[in-house]
Amino acid sequence: MKYVIKKIGTMIFTLCVVCFLIFGAFSLIPGDPALSRLGTQATESSLNALREQMGLNRPFLVRFADWFVHALAGDFGTSYSYNMPVSDMILDKVPITITLTLLAFVLIVLVSIPLSIYSVMHENGPVDRGILILNQILMAVPPFFSGMLITFFFGIVLKWFVPGGFVSYKKSFSGFLGYMLFPAIAVALPKIAMTVKLFRKSLLQEKKKEYVRTAYSKGNDSRGVLYGHMMKNALIPVITFLGMVLTDMIAGSIIIEQVFNIPGLGRILMTSISNRDYPVVEAIVLCIAVLVIVVNFLVDVLYHVIDPRMRTE
Amino acid sequence: MKKRCLKPLFLTAVLFSLTIALTGCSGDKASDSSSEITIGLAQDIEDSLDPHKAVAAGTKEILFNLYEGLVKPDADGNLIDAVASAHEVSEDGKTYTFTLRDGVKFHDGSLVTADDVKYSIDRCADTGNGDPLVSAFSNIESVNVLDESTIEVNLKEADTEFLAYMTTAIIPASNETPDTNPIGTGPYKYVSRSPQEEIVLERFDEYWGTPANIANITLKVIADPDSIAMNLNGGAIDMFMRITTGQMNELSDEFEIYEGTMNLVQALYLNNDFEPFQDVRVRRALCYAVDKQEIFDILSDGKGSELGSSVFPSFGKYYMEELNSVYTKDTKKAKELLAEAGYENGFTFSVAVPSNYQPHVDTAQILAQQFKEIGVTANINLIEWDSWLSDVYTNREFEATVIGVDASSLTARALLERFQSDASNNFINFKSDAYDTAITNALATADDDEKTRYYKECETILADEAANVYIQDLPEFVALNKKYAGYEFYPLYVQDFSKLYVVEE
Amino acid sequence: MQKKKKRHSFNFILGAVLTGLIAVMLLIGIFAMPYAPDAMNKSLKFAGISPAHLMGCDNFGRDIFSRVLQGLKMTLGIAAGTVCIGTFFGMVIGAFTGYFGGWLDEVLMRINDAVFAFPSILLALVMVSLFGTGKWNVMLALGIAFIPSFARIVRSEFLYQKNLDYVKSARLMGAGHLRIMFVHILPNTLPVLISSIMIGFNNAVLAEAGMSYLGIGVQPPDASLGRMLSEAQTYLFSTPTYAMFPGLVLIVMILGFSLLADEM
Repeated sequence: MKYVIKKIGTMIFTLCVVCFLIFGAFSLIPGDPALSRLGTQATESSLNALREQMGLNRPFLVRFADWFVHALAGDFGTSYSYNMPVSDMILDKVPITITLTLLAFVLIVLVSIPLSIYSVMHENGPVDRGILILNQILMAVPPFFSGMLITFFFGIVLKWFVPGGFVSYKKSFSGFLGYMLFPAIAVALPKIAMTVKLFRKSLLQEKKKEYVRTAYSKGNDSRGVLYGHMMKNALIPVITFLGMVLTDMIAGSIIIEQVFNIPGLGRILMTSISNRDYPVVEAIVLCIAVLVIVVNFLVDVLYHVIDPRMRTE
Repeated sequence: MKKRCLKPLFLTAVLFSLTIALTGCSGDKASDSSSEITIGLAQDIEDSLDPHKAVAAGTKEILFNLYEGLVKPDADGNLIDAVASAHEVSEDGKTYTFTLRDGVKFHDGSLVTADDVKYSIDRCADTGNGDPLVSAFSNIESVNVLDESTIEVNLKEADTEFLAYMTTAIIPASNETPDTNPIGTGPYKYVSRSPQEEIVLERFDEYWGTPANIANITLKVIADPDSIAMNLNGGAIDMFMRITTGQMNELSDEFEIYEGTMNLVQALYLNNDFEPFQDVRVRRALCYAVDKQEIFDILSDGKGSELGSSVFPSFGKYYMEELNSVYTKDTKKAKELLAEAGYENGFTFSVAVPSNYQPHVDTAQILAQQFKEIGVTANINLIEWDSWLSDVYTNREFEATVIGVDASSLTARALLERFQSDASNNFINFKSDAYDTAITNALATADDDEKTRYYKECETILADEAANVYIQDLPEFVALNKKYAGYEFYPLYVQDFSKLYVVEE
Repeated sequence: MQKKKKRHSFNFILGAVLTGLIAVMLLIGIFAMPYAPDAMNKSLKFAGISPAHLMGCDNFGRDIFSRVLQGLKMTLGIAAGTVCIGTFFGMVIGAFTGYFGGWLDEVLMRINDAVFAFPSILLALVMVSLFGTGKWNVMLALGIAFIPSFARIVRSEFLYQKNLDYVKSARLMGAGHLRIMFVHILPNTLPVLISSIMIGFNNAVLAEAGMSYLGIGVQPPDASLGRMLSEAQTYLFSTPTYAMFPGLVLIVMILGFSLLADEM
């Protein structure tokens, strides 16, 4: 319990630092948001009025405190480009990106774990060899390229889905999931390969250990040894890795969203970056950072629960 | 909220209809309430849904379906009565009287009143924030409501082109948020939007005129031009305006291609304040370096109508074909001019191009290649549409840009007025006293022949001074799924969705 | 056991062959580019594969093979720059914090943790929004994004090494801190550093390709493998080879490096 509280403390501290870094970075950019909103034709007095209204005349720390307090309450200000509250723009898109990530994550777990176990049980068999080779190749294919290939074969040739035909989750949830499955596969493929590689190696290492031999000598069959003894130990490094994969995918989905024309967080982030719509960029970056930090925290805690050795430390 | 100056509107002057490649199929026009179409958009509406504040051509062409003025243009470029049922111009050309059409309703169901009309005109004439929203409205002396259905606009000076500006959208005075909740009188009404995703429109059933055929329109934002062909073929969108010939060749036979022209002046616009471009010899050198035919060949299989100045062929009598041959490719001459100007070793400049307009991006690449031959390096800088609007158009922080400038009105004024030295939308910082005199004369005179002569003088000055590297009026290819028909080209940069219909099987 | 070793060496050979292939292409690109990669020719629009144009031509009639070579140079150059920036600053930060510890270590590592919370592609995107687009900015952005991971690795190595006997004896012999850090400890961290550099290089290649694909990396008419893939998407129906070749080269490159890195 003490451990969890300590971790929560670190997490909150990291979050504060992240907020400060994000806000600080965007305040350093040369350029006057008031000027870019009013244009060069604006008079000095109207510029000053807008600066006053936007609170740009205050000292940096005051502005940061103000932004921070509002951000905590979920208020990120108003988008320069769309003139609508940033939180409204983002809230709609968060479920899209999270669904994509979770769907890919489920795929990774469902495919890679059974595959690794099969591979280990038939070590050096033809299937194992095949998996190893395929793994190496899949790891080398960038997700946006596999995304293009998937669109081409499943979308254009086989017509299993409509390329670019994103269905909003508000209209039809099943249609939404059906479409998201394909980008999720593109995101998941290289990660599946990595997970299989890691889990397989981890299982093979466990196999050589004393306790496994003891378990065999006690008369357990290989299946019993595998599930009863090795699994739990071999999973420990994999869980850490899966945590990293999850956070990596949240950001990696930015590119996949472009390939599949999905209007998620990534798309908004990309256009806002180019449009220098800083309130939106700040909010999205913070959003993703929070997701990442929370996932990291959960992984740490889970790790602690699974691995008894961690508890005594 | 960006306060950029809203420019020109329409004029009766030129009647010029385009050759339209229409489809052979003409089925019954289905108009049941379930009909729908998904249309791809190259960019999201990022300036404003407020018709008086929108500046981007890509925004205004969509808003054309939501809003109407007292008068509006038809597909031939004529001005027809819309919210007004009749209009009358006094003999001295100073008083315009409009009779409102009976029973015209806003999308919220309320009737259009004379007060709404006065409100809309006054709003655009207001000088409280600097320039009026419609610059021609600075000429308005007063707007008077004579009775419930009659409104009178008094001008300070006679203006024969003024009626064209009465296409300014009529909006209800009661709407406090036209920015996010657009209410107009057009054939389609706004339903909802989701940034970078889609804009949803619905047929306005109480429209005063011929109602639209298709009940529901989804305008889907396709931010990545490289995925347009895939989106069309896959069936995610049914229509896309302005595809390239490259994309066209990828389309399956489910699509009909409508061919017209884009009605814009595509050029390499040069910031005349940027050091090398301050020298007319440098600007001319760039013009001599360009082989327009090569651009047409690569970009659109040889199609494209060549331009030599800021007026395109739809403008009939104002268009001067002879200016096209002022500069023909002459590498030697270009190099001489550069040497004279002190740039014998060439120079480097950057070209800002909006990344979502494939034709402009491709043109910029070809230009960069052609400039290499005279030792000039053009670095392409792809930027987002909204950044283009703020950096290039509003703040003029650019060196050169490839873009198409449209005229929302068939008047030479709409295209030429912007190059006055002090015009607020003179984004290229063009400065010429001769030009200023000519344009002032053109605007001042009421005599049509004289007006035309002055406008032509303006065009000639632009060509001689090489204000920009003029290229072409791009051919426009509209891809429409054969399940639909009825696409019509306007001689202006607008889209009329109300004429589209579903082809019965 | 014997069998296993054999397979490993097969991976190594394959990795070496693939990397060699990339190296040969790089050399051709530098010394014997068949055509100028930007040269357009309207009569060659979408020309097919032929002895003159090994990979055909694109929509401007540019030779795809030359552009792939050019893109390869660009991608490798950016990745190399990225890794250099990341390694250099990561090494310095990691060395100081690991060696000295104390409050400097605390502060820098907290910041490092916070930055590490961002996936590197996201961090690079934020940097690009600060610096602007273009190849140099992408290199800088990715480089900075890579610093924290290198700093972490170097720091933990320094933490471990500084208590070893050879460091103690060096100190007894009167060596200064800087000398101990960079002359004595640094060479001993190399094995760890090299494998993380190779992995980092692969990540940099992927990140650059991704950013150029998104259109915020290398700007046209410059070729980059990611940018070419994006442009080729339109022509996937009629000229699939346009997308295939840059994609294949990218895969071969990453596969080669990762096989080699595995064996090191």
